[in-house]
Amino acid sequence: MALEINGLRFRYSGGGASPTSPWIIEIGSLRVARGEQLLLTGGSGTGKSTLLHLISGVVDLAPPNVGRIEVAGRDIQSLRGPARDAYRAKHIGMVFQTFNLLHGFSALENVMAALLFSDVPSREHRDRAAGLLASLGIERIDAAPDRLSVGQQQRVAVARALACSPALVLADEPTASLDPENSAAAMSLIQNACRERNAALLCVSHDPAMVERFSRRERLDDLRGTHGMRAA
Amino acid sequence: MIMAITDFSIVRRSLRSRLFSTCVTALTVGVAVALMLVLLSMRDAGRQAFQRGSGNMHLLVSRDSSPMVSILNGIYYANAPRAPIPWEKYEQLAGSFPLEFAIPTQLGDSYRGFPVLATDGEFFSAFEPNVGEPWVFASGRPFDTVFEVVVGSTAARESGLGVGSELFLTHGIAQSRQLGQADAMTPHEHREFVYKVVGVLEATGSAHDRALFTDLTSSWIIHAHDRRKLDDPSIRTTSVDDLIDADMLITGIYMRVATRPGMQVTASLQTVFDQLRRDTSVVVAQPVQQINALFAIVSNIDQVFIAMAAVVMISSAISIMLALYNSLEQRRRQIAVLRVLGCSRPRVFGLLVTEATVIGILGAGLGVLLAVAGAFGAASALKQAIGLVVTPAFGLELTLAVVTGAILLAAAAGVVPAVMAYRSSVADHLKPLG
Repeated sequence: MALEINGLRFRYSGGGASPTSPWIIEIGSLRVARGEQLLLTGGSGTGKSTLLHLISGVVDLAPPNVGRIEVAGRDIQSLRGPARDAYRAKHIGMVFQTFNLLHGFSALENVMAALLFSDVPSREHRDRAAGLLASLGIERIDAAPDRLSVGQQQRVAVARALACSPALVLADEPTASLDPENSAAAMSLIQNACRERNAALLCVSHDPAMVERFSRRERLDDLRGTHGMRAA
Repeated sequence: MIMAITDFSIVRRSLRSRLFSTCVTALTVGVAVALMLVLLSMRDAGRQAFQRGSGNMHLLVSRDSSPMVSILNGIYYANAPRAPIPWEKYEQLAGSFPLEFAIPTQLGDSYRGFPVLATDGEFFSAFEPNVGEPWVFASGRPFDTVFEVVVGSTAARESGLGVGSELFLTHGIAQSRQLGQADAMTPHEHREFVYKVVGVLEATGSAHDRALFTDLTSSWIIHAHDRRKLDDPSIRTTSVDDLIDADMLITGIYMRVATRPGMQVTASLQTVFDQLRRDTSVVVAQPVQQINALFAIVSNIDQVFIAMAAVVMISSAISIMLALYNSLEQRRRQIAVLRVLGCSRPRVFGLLVTEATVIGILGAGLGVLLAVAGAFGAASALKQAIGLVVTPAFGLELTLAVVTGAILLAAAAGVVPAVMAYRSSVADHLKPLG
């Protein structure tokens, strides 16, 4: 299983939040198998991005929040500090709405930067990153991202997310800053790349055009109190 | 072609992406390091330079206004003494005490700005400019008759004088001329008397290196000639036979009290010193004592300068902190992305501290270069201004201590922005801009 969530309840503490505030995220159970692709929808402010941050472990699931989030068979929230970061580097890839490519690094270096934090031997970094970019149709691997078209930047971002052969790719509104034509191309790219590498894809979006692209879809609100895996 | 990205690649890119800020910050560190190095090295070199020159003399007798002025004039050639000592007085003093030597000296003339010390043969045979290091001739020999001159190493190098050169001397500090230069004659030149260079000295590291040395009789003759021309402008020349008592003046006496062989001091030194002090017609100075007194004054100023350099160094550390802090505001998204890619918080902390350290290393390297240039510039200025020959020396230990201190300070300056980066929220900075 690439992702398994059980009994997750989360709300932000501090900043005026009271102990009686409603849970932002409430998921009884959610499973995504290796190679599976799931679209998670919901309106703005329903906690879609927060869920991805919890899954990737960049946000802590600290009391009073509860639940278990397993990625590739391991409760990521039970890991602490650098161990969690290393686990994320190895098992999770992330694609962002604004790509978040590193300024001052070439396309190739952006992909190699992901490998820096993995356990892939450094002598393999260049070939692996170059191969990945080539497979996604990027020829100008030494170009700075701002010299590439929006579509090419998206490909670099996808290559970076897949560099460490993760079990799970999290995509946070990956097409929100693209026009409809580029949006469709970008989603095809992400889905195909994940499929070819047998990586599970969890995509959150409030874009209605995305619905048709996924055979399995969930509304975050509907997961409140859900029990068991929904069939694809 | 890079094979892999490393933590240092990230640091390098970050510094390069704000090149101007990096350079200015490194320059600030460089100036602070240079200032500290120059002050420390010049202090040590200055102390050594001041300790040279008095050599094996115990006492300096003159008629200057104070013992300190006597030392500055008599050993460092700061100015020509104004009050002379009659020859009879010299003979009286030289015969009154158990002395190893009593070398008469006279200052007042110059050659192209280099002071000329008129003295006797004992100056080269008995007096040592540095204890245990007698004079060494690079070429030629000491003077042994009138109108012969010996040139110090620096004066020879800078004036181009060598054995066989001929020259005129000048009253005071006016420029005198080497023969063969046809340009205008200065009013106080002793053009009737041609001096010939018979020797060039090896360097001693003291103020003597920039002086010329000739015999007393020559000096008396040229001044007697001036006196006689006032009475009779038609006279052509003056010889030793024309000297009268009023011409036979000196401005100082280098004295060494008799000691046992191999000993530098003797109990009778204090007795001789005390007896000379009772003679109100002269001023007596112990060079060692006066140099220590001078350094007691100078060291206070030293400490102020070193404290200022330390403040500049701390300011440079603050500038590193500010530069990194300002860049952090623009880099929070990059740090968040690195965190998502698997970069741990301690590693982010390390990246920021490494950046600060690299700025420190660049600055320290620049500082060492600036210090070398600055110290030699300051040494040259000191030589020109007060005749003090200072050879700046950057001891390995001193340089390493300052450089290491600067780098550690720079690294410490990186801690505050590093802690901020460490604590930076990843989720908050991954949100789309706008």
